[in-house]
Amino acid sequence: MSLISCKNVCLKYENTCVVSDLSFEVEAGDYLCIVGENGSGKSTLIKAILGLKETASGHLHMGEGLTGKQIGYLPQQTTAQKDFPASVYEVVLSGCLAGKNGRIFYSSEQKKLARENMEKLDILSMKDRCYRELSGGQQQRVLLARALCATKKMLLLDEPVNGLDPLVTADFYSIIRKLNAEGITVIMVSHDLYAAVNHADHILHLSRGGSFFGTTEDYKKSDIFKMFSGGDMSD
Amino acid sequence: MTEAIQLLFSQQFLLRALIVGVLVSLCCALLGVSLVLKHFSMIGDGLSHVAFGAMAIACAANIAPIYFALPIVIICAFLLLRISEKGKIKGDAAIALLSTGALALGVMVTSMTTGMNIDIYNYMFGSILTMSSGDVVISTVLSIVVILLYAVFYNEIFAVTFDESFAKATGTKASFYNMLIAALTAVTIVIGMKMMGALLISSLIIFPTVTSMRLCKSFRGVVLCSSLVSVFCFLTGLIFSIGYEAPTGASVVCVNMILLAVFSAVAGVLSSNLSGKTKKALTALLCIVSIGAFGAMLCFGSVLSEKDSGKVSVVATTFAPYDFARQIGGEEAEVTMLLSPGMESHTYEPTPGDIMKIRDCDVFVYGGGESENWVEEILESLDSSVKTVKMMDAVELYEEETAEGMETEIHGDEEEEEETEYDEHVWTSPLNAVKIVRAISEAMIEADEEKAELFEENTERYISELMDLDREFTALFAGGVRTRIIVGDRFPLRYFTERYALDYYAAFPGCSAQTEANPKTIAFLIQKTEEEKIPVVFKVDLSKGSVAYTISEATGAKVDTLYSCHVISSADFDAGETYISLMRRNMSALSAAVS
Repeated sequence: MSLISCKNVCLKYENTCVVSDLSFEVEAGDYLCIVGENGSGKSTLIKAILGLKETASGHLHMGEGLTGKQIGYLPQQTTAQKDFPASVYEVVLSGCLAGKNGRIFYSSEQKKLARENMEKLDILSMKDRCYRELSGGQQQRVLLARALCATKKMLLLDEPVNGLDPLVTADFYSIIRKLNAEGITVIMVSHDLYAAVNHADHILHLSRGGSFFGTTEDYKKSDIFKMFSGGDMSD
Repeated sequence: MTEAIQLLFSQQFLLRALIVGVLVSLCCALLGVSLVLKHFSMIGDGLSHVAFGAMAIACAANIAPIYFALPIVIICAFLLLRISEKGKIKGDAAIALLSTGALALGVMVTSMTTGMNIDIYNYMFGSILTMSSGDVVISTVLSIVVILLYAVFYNEIFAVTFDESFAKATGTKASFYNMLIAALTAVTIVIGMKMMGALLISSLIIFPTVTSMRLCKSFRGVVLCSSLVSVFCFLTGLIFSIGYEAPTGASVVCVNMILLAVFSAVAGVLSSNLSGKTKKALTALLCIVSIGAFGAMLCFGSVLSEKDSGKVSVVATTFAPYDFARQIGGEEAEVTMLLSPGMESHTYEPTPGDIMKIRDCDVFVYGGGESENWVEEILESLDSSVKTVKMMDAVELYEEETAEGMETEIHGDEEEEEETEYDEHVWTSPLNAVKIVRAISEAMIEADEEKAELFEENTERYISELMDLDREFTALFAGGVRTRIIVGDRFPLRYFTERYALDYYAAFPGCSAQTEANPKTIAFLIQKTEEEKIPVVFKVDLSKGSVAYTISEATGAKVDTLYSCHVISSADFDAGETYISLMRRNMSALSAAVS
């Protein structure tokens, strides 16, 4: 059974239908990129996957024991975070919140998990540094480590390379690829079409006129790709 | 300053303020971190205005303010949060709407009922002395609840403060925690308001966090540091306010400002590109200077130095008894007036230093009226050997009267249950002054029997002067053609007019702090002035006399001043004016009015 199966789903945002009749499936180990222009319903779909939004119609199912809570989510940064005094360790550890189960303090296993994930993303050395003093790329790594604390199966990344310079962006993509190779399913929302087709193995293109879902190979041959890449590639 | 600290621990009401203050400071610091980091600082400010409005309404309706304000402020906190999150009105605009609206409502209700009285004034600027033991118990319980809830949900609060979307995604009920923060903030503001004042309480929430954010690099660091900063500032401010007789709320905020400046300076040095050694030296220098400054401020500024001069020390609340004691004591008494010259009597509130003076004096003279409710409370807590003279006990009392046309104060339904309000301006009749002088004289002699002869001599001489004054007034009114005076102001001269059988029309009762009469009152006074062709309308001293001048413009009557001797202007005080000299001024003014 698939991790996520979505059949004929309609999603509403403030009473208007933003996503209609959407169907796609995500298997364990997939690397799915969700692309589409602004207002095509990407954010609404993310909320639905995380279980924070009801579907207006259709079925959105989680398989293999996955629930919204167990998805490692990497949201877009907010302005409030730019001046937020928090140490790297505090931020990463807050990823274990879902597993705390009503206890007041984090358990030693959770602290160990946070440490392991920091090590994995090469940020253990900056454990006590202040989050707001880090570079954009370092901050994304911290948030990624936090997301990893919240999941064993699936990462959901919302525009993770926004505002990063090209070198750092490439670096970030290679980390994701590595994690994917280790068996973690990745769903990434992006408007970087070029990166999407280069990294992902499946593409979901949301569009008002009809969405596309399929493998990257099929996507590259599709009309919708040809139409959009013309603009995007020359960017 | 050791004396201030000693006072702090020896006086129950100060100890109460200390306990509640430390707890409230802690609550404010904890919640402040979340509010400031979530850019919700203004919610705290808005809520304090809402709390003020609620308190004003509670005072008017005679409900215990804290129980009434608590639910209202919590509801408003939820409302603000909801509007900020999904409303069509922007968050900051919503806060401004709600807070100014609540403030206006409070002022409306206040002006229509009790008037701007001491309770309301206390809620605006804070008062550490009006904490009852009931207040202390409920404040302590509530703040411990706040601190415990914060500790239990610390990790969740961090997650929601740092990144709401992520917290939601991991199944944390972000809106629940937002509501928790808002509710705890509401509770903190209500319990802190009495101490800090509605206009200052939000500074306690914002300052410590902003200060700690200059230097701390982790959330836990900020939380711990701002708790420390907050408690430190409160304690320093409290001790400072005792030592310098300054208002506590404002003192605490000032210490907070200084600390913010010091932290910012240190942060500036640390982030500059100076060499490591210079940085360390500069930081150390800054720390030493600021610690030294705080120390110096606390050590040398004390105005509480009491020296035993061998004289009889008398403390009087207002001008008339101050002058009486001065006349009796002559050179052999040290007389202090608590109300400084020029100060408004009905909104006066004693500072800890004043209480110290009362505790250490031999004789304490007070009126005992509505505006001195605080006296009894303080006398209860002082178990010293101070002899007290209550002027209202020395004379026959009249109820505070409402004359025809006077703007009355609506008291609500339970008027019958209310205690009779006696007019407290008993000294305005010279015959009453004689009785009061005798009472003060007795107490002073009791305090120092060696000086009995001198005091008795002075008393008899002074009483004969007062009797002369009384005779002159009697003669004046016997020879006058009119028996009615018009006072376009509050009317503190009830005992005076009763003594000489004068009639009067006045704009407000004796203790009213109102200065804006309604048009009906003014029209009535103008009509009476014209009907009776009254040549002079009066205002009372230290008042702008706006109503009197309005009447004067309409009728051509002159405006003159009547002195109540309740308070005295600083110019008159410095010129050495006395009860008798001010009464003689009244005499010449009145002779123009009745002839």
